[in-house]
Amino acid sequence: MISTLAPTGTAPASGMTEASRRRAMAKANRVVTFRIKRCDGPGKASYWQDFKVTVPKNANVISCLQQIAANPVTADGKPSTPVVWDSGCLEEVCGACTMVINGKVRQSCSCLIDDYAPNEGDVMTLEPMSKFPVVRDLWVDRSRLFHNLKRVQAWVPIDGTYNLGAGPKETPASQATHYVLSTCMSCGCCLEACPQFNEIPDQGSKEANEAAWNSAFIGAHAISQARLFNAHETGKELKEERLDVLMGTGGVNDCGNAQNCVKVCPKHIPLTESIAVIGRQVTFHAIAKFFRG
Amino acid sequence: MSQHRVIVVGGGLAGLSASVRIAEAGLPVDLFSLVPVKRSHSVCAQGGINACNEVARQQGFSEYEHFDETIYGGDFLADQHPVLEMANWAPKIIDLLDRMGVPFNRTSEGNRDLRLFGGSLFKRTHFAGATTGQQLIYALDEQVRRYEAEGKVNKYEFWEFLGPIIHEGRAVGIVAQDMRTMQIRSFRADAVVMATGGCGLVYGKSTMSVMCTGAAAARCFRAGAWYGNPEMIQVHPTAIPGADKLRLMSESARGEGGRVWVPKKAKDPRDPKQIPESERWYFLEEKYPAYGNIVPRDIATREIFDVCVNMGLGVGGENQVYLDLTHRDPDYLTRKLGGILEIYEKFVGDDPRFTPMKIFPAVHYSMGGLWTTYTKGSYNPGTALPKHKSGSPAPLDAKVGLGMQLGAPNNSMTNIPGLYAFGEVNFAYHGANRLGANALLSCIFDGLFCGVSVFNYVKNEAPGKAPAEGLASGAFDESVSRETARMKSLVDSASAGASDPATNPYAIGKELGDEMTAACTVVRTETRVKQCLTKIAELKDRYAKVKLSDAAGWTNQSFSYARAVGDMLAVAEAIALGSLERRESRGAHYRSDYPDRNDAEFMKTSLAKHEAGKTTLEFVPIDASLVAPTARTYGKKDTKKPEMAAAAS
Amino acid sequence: MSHSVAAAPDQSFLDKNYFLIRRLHSLTGIVPIGVFLIAHLVTNSSAAWGAFALREQLPGVNATADKGLAYFWKEVMWINTQIPHLLLIEITLWASIAFHSVFGVYFAMSGKSNTNRYSYQSNWRYSLQRISGYIGILFIFYHVATLRWGWTFLVPGGTKWSAEFAGSTLAAAIQGSENGYTFGGVLVTLLYFLGVTMLVYHFANGLWTAAITWGITISAAAQRRWGYVCAGLGAALMVMGWVSILVFAVVNPGLTRELEEGLQKGHSSLVEPSGNERLARAVRHDDELVVGGMNLNSNRTSKE
Ligand SMILES: Cc1cc2nc3c(=O)[nH]c(=O)nc-3n(C[C@H](O)[C@H](O)[C@H](O)COP(=O)(O)OP(=O)(O)OC[C@H]3O[C@@H](n4cnc5c(N)ncnc54)[C@H](O)[C@@H]3O)c2cc1C
Ligand code: HEM
Ligand code: SF4
Ligand code: SF4
Ligand code: FES
Repeated sequence: MISTLAPTGTAPASGMTEASRRRAMAKANRVVTFRIKRCDGPGKASYWQDFKVTVPKNANVISCLQQIAANPVTADGKPSTPVVWDSGCLEEVCGACTMVINGKVRQSCSCLIDDYAPNEGDVMTLEPMSKFPVVRDLWVDRSRLFHNLKRVQAWVPIDGTYNLGAGPKETPASQATHYVLSTCMSCGCCLEACPQFNEIPDQGSKEANEAAWNSAFIGAHAISQARLFNAHETGKELKEERLDVLMGTGGVNDCGNAQNCVKVCPKHIPLTESIAVIGRQVTFHAIAKFFRG
Repeated sequence: MSQHRVIVVGGGLAGLSASVRIAEAGLPVDLFSLVPVKRSHSVCAQGGINACNEVARQQGFSEYEHFDETIYGGDFLADQHPVLEMANWAPKIIDLLDRMGVPFNRTSEGNRDLRLFGGSLFKRTHFAGATTGQQLIYALDEQVRRYEAEGKVNKYEFWEFLGPIIHEGRAVGIVAQDMRTMQIRSFRADAVVMATGGCGLVYGKSTMSVMCTGAAAARCFRAGAWYGNPEMIQVHPTAIPGADKLRLMSESARGEGGRVWVPKKAKDPRDPKQIPESERWYFLEEKYPAYGNIVPRDIATREIFDVCVNMGLGVGGENQVYLDLTHRDPDYLTRKLGGILEIYEKFVGDDPRFTPMKIFPAVHYSMGGLWTTYTKGSYNPGTALPKHKSGSPAPLDAKVGLGMQLGAPNNSMTNIPGLYAFGEVNFAYHGANRLGANALLSCIFDGLFCGVSVFNYVKNEAPGKAPAEGLASGAFDESVSRETARMKSLVDSASAGASDPATNPYAIGKELGDEMTAACTVVRTETRVKQCLTKIAELKDRYAKVKLSDAAGWTNQSFSYARAVGDMLAVAEAIALGSLERRESRGAHYRSDYPDRNDAEFMKTSLAKHEAGKTTLEFVPIDASLVAPTARTYGKKDTKKPEMAAAAS
Repeated sequence: MSHSVAAAPDQSFLDKNYFLIRRLHSLTGIVPIGVFLIAHLVTNSSAAWGAFALREQLPGVNATADKGLAYFWKEVMWINTQIPHLLLIEITLWASIAFHSVFGVYFAMSGKSNTNRYSYQSNWRYSLQRISGYIGILFIFYHVATLRWGWTFLVPGGTKWSAEFAGSTLAAAIQGSENGYTFGGVLVTLLYFLGVTMLVYHFANGLWTAAITWGITISAAAQRRWGYVCAGLGAALMVMGWVSILVFAVVNPGLTRELEEGLQKGHSSLVEPSGNERLARAVRHDDELVVGGMNLNSNRTSKE
């Protein structure tokens, strides 16, 4: 488990972290403007709308959106419609609420206004993720991300749910490595920030979309999952098939090593390490295939 | 040749394990979920999953003891046979999850590591870091994706279940709506499995995810399915208050020495670190010298509640108390509790190693849910055994089929044939109080064990003779037009800027949550609950005139929410009715006017039924023929080894 | 068993050979292009450090600067006498550059730079890798066209480069005339600084990414360590590149030419024909060829 807690040596004895100092300065019940990029549906033009929200301390983006939904009146007093957004757990484990906040992708549920807009009149901008088609307002359709998990067969091919005894043993060290990879919540931050992963316009049908996705860059998310399953004792069974996909068009080769993915991943997954591991596996796989035929 | 199909509604642990099992058996599955299944509420579970294991077994633990402590923890309200079967299956479930690749924590030898959890003297809880639920659901999600790629499971994500379709007394499909396009349509199926989770949103804020409205269960309830033990709502003592959600602070914080206190002076404005020891009230330690801060969960919850709500001593005058770890070595805390302390730091901003946390109890889990039945297994001792002595040899081995008959078509089936309820939405297993780390188990057990029942029902019972595919379309069309009309009436109400709180769905939802939290949580009384029922009636009237502010025919979220509010009112009414009629105290249900357990009258399931628009409640006997009830004291006299009573999440 | 999304049967040539092309792209960046870049910069910068490598005493060459220029001249002359090798090397090099840059442009176009939002250092390096590729190929084109192919209309002052007067013609081409700086010369010099900077960066950063691509550096720590190595190499090459330009930006073309003429007169005693050289003479039956590097040069140019 990677801890974001500051090492004790560096934390002041008062218990004030950098964040808590910033948050302590934030004014209670200040009015913050939410500038939201809205869109009524696929194919419709986007437009910006401002809402003024009275923000209590410790409020997050979701609680402000809830306020807007309950009383959707714009900053200039015009009645509007509730902003649409996606959310689930509200504690940064489900990945649903991902959006672009003040220009950077992150989860909105863990985004505290105190950190971003501590003063009266500050502005927060909310935009939908740009790499996936917008459903409405801040809600995007991330089917492609889940489809990419199918491309690399991100599962362990067990024999079935019958009672067949325990799984393979594993050392604590290897568990620790795999656990971190396995905390990926398919939020898509890594894809949103990746210069090599770009939006594919709707192709009209599910099949056409999937075909287009199949040849486009798969992204750090699925590459890292392929690494996880390639490392599993039983998951290895499909390793070669996964590598065949990953050495092809849209596979690991399309990564340009900008390494944005690893910086925006909320779960601190070592994505660039995964990319290098898969790079190595693909190298050996290609050599093996060359000699084996 | 006609093709049978099964619909599974809900993609949490229960729904996913059911889908895997049923698809594997050879029936195509249509899987419906409000959210991509990987994002279901089950991801939130942190603590772990219980099962007897070799280490514990060799120390004297057994499946039987696991069963016994679950019954005891549930204050003898659960039907006992299903619990026995669940405990017997638990080790097999862990093995299976292990094979699926769940990264369970390991010992140095590479075996699955275990942790101690509330309600047991043995380490019997398997865990994967601080995100066990997430890891389990991912493993199942992957297996479902595998079947999806093979065409055996068809996912309908972002589809909302609107109701079961009942034809000639059995479930033959569902009506559902695409939340993006707003298309309403019917789906045929030979059996429908409800696995839609809990109903925390009825209380406004809880530790649950935003889709846990209980609306899906309510829709079945309104269609004639019975609802069991609605009043049994678990309130966890330590959660982080928040504007949108009450995030869980695991009980292990107190297990590691956390002290609960409030300033003696009401609304003391000082920084907690500036308040001298003499001016702090460690009320749990004072009131329970033997147990101190690790009193059983329901007691801790009630005491914190009392101090804040009745005495007005909450920190800063608000409903919160300090949970203080600052006397412990910060490095030790990082090692032991890093994960959960990080959540606190992320959402509150303070580092709990140096600043006391502010916490308050929060609604956490619903033991109640759709009522289901089962076929008893072969273990029937004649007279119930006394409470099992911890660590003594089990009176029976852990053979499958002792508690429930494997494959009996009615296992976990509601009173409506063909309509099943799995997971948290199933009222079975946990009685009046759930033990920590037993919920994940019951969800997966339902899916795997009762999935076979679904298969057998489809093959051998009514659908075998008359598959849903071949039925006349009447019932299907009728349900679509009913739901379309319901939508139309709501959307037509929309007028720009409809902000009158009397008819604003968000205002109604919030008032409902506040009222339910005030009346039907920690301490309940006859007068307060009656008041609550009056309030619900008022809200229902207002709801009849509800006005939306969005008339969009595309991805209209406020419409979906408004529709759910109507269903939440139905769940709330059942909860309140149960809280009123159960005139005793049992498990999570505490009536200060009836503080004792009353087995003679109330060791019974409270059964809510909805007929002709009216909710009624009756008490039906339970099957407690395996273990005889005893007082649930948690060995209060044993001061050397206090345990945490109920769950540590 | 395979649930994988089956590869479409009607795959394009690119799709079928995707891995090979990608890895060849990576490889060609290092060998031969990168290796050539190193050799080229080492040679060119010898004009600055050659005095320390020049072991014999040349008549009339005494100043340190002169010694450097003399060494450089010798190097160029030597290279330009390795006929069959040179041909082979040039063909490989050109094929590689063509391959690397055609696909480089194609791959670069598949990305969308987003440093405005994610202004991380690694992201800047990613974008710069693409930009430096574009600028680099333009520079290479200009560099080769003007000096190798004799497209003198692109050279301010119209100087034609020749191997036997390598230093002086280069200096004149860079400075914009044979007798000192012109405005056009300033632009050319700046272009040289830009081009060399971009190419050295591109190579050094490429070396860093290639280690990830091939799976050589795995952990973040290894990538960081290899990054220091690449940065070190890059810095060294950068110094060599800048120094080379600097030398020819400051030397007097006229005086350099005098030096070179002197060197040519004493040529046979200065340059001991190597085995290859003898072979070349034998093949061509043309002893003059060696000295007449010019002729040789223009012959080849017309072939290309
Ligand atoms: C913070 C927290 C921590 C917990 N920790 C533990 C723990 O450590 N150990 C333990 O054993 N238990 C724990 N629990 C309890 C446990 O997590 C839940 O009981 C369990 O996950 C419920 O799973 P489920 O499959 O029944 O439903 P859920 O996971 O809630 O899934 C419900 C599914 O139904 C779908 N759905 C709902 N309504 C509709 C509709 N109308 N139409 C279509 N689909 C619908 C949803 O989309 C979702 O897919 C914890 C609970 C919380 C809140
Ligand atoms: C002197 C000339 C050049 C040298 C020495 C050189 C060297 C390299 C090297 C070593 C790499 C790293 C390969 C890897 O990451 O695997 C690379 C990558 C790259 N080069 Fe070049 N290159 C040169 C010219 C060019 C040109 C002219 C272009 C055209 C635009 C170009 C475009 C690229 C691109 C886009 C990449 C990144 C490829 C990827 O990450 O997939 N290069 N180059
Ligand atoms: S390292 Fe690769 S996957 Fe990650 S952001 Fe950069 S290009 Fe994208
Ligand atoms: S790897 Fe990280 S950023 Fe990417 S989807 Fe997973 S959790 Fe999100
Ligand atoms: S709502 Fe689950 S991550 Fe934000």
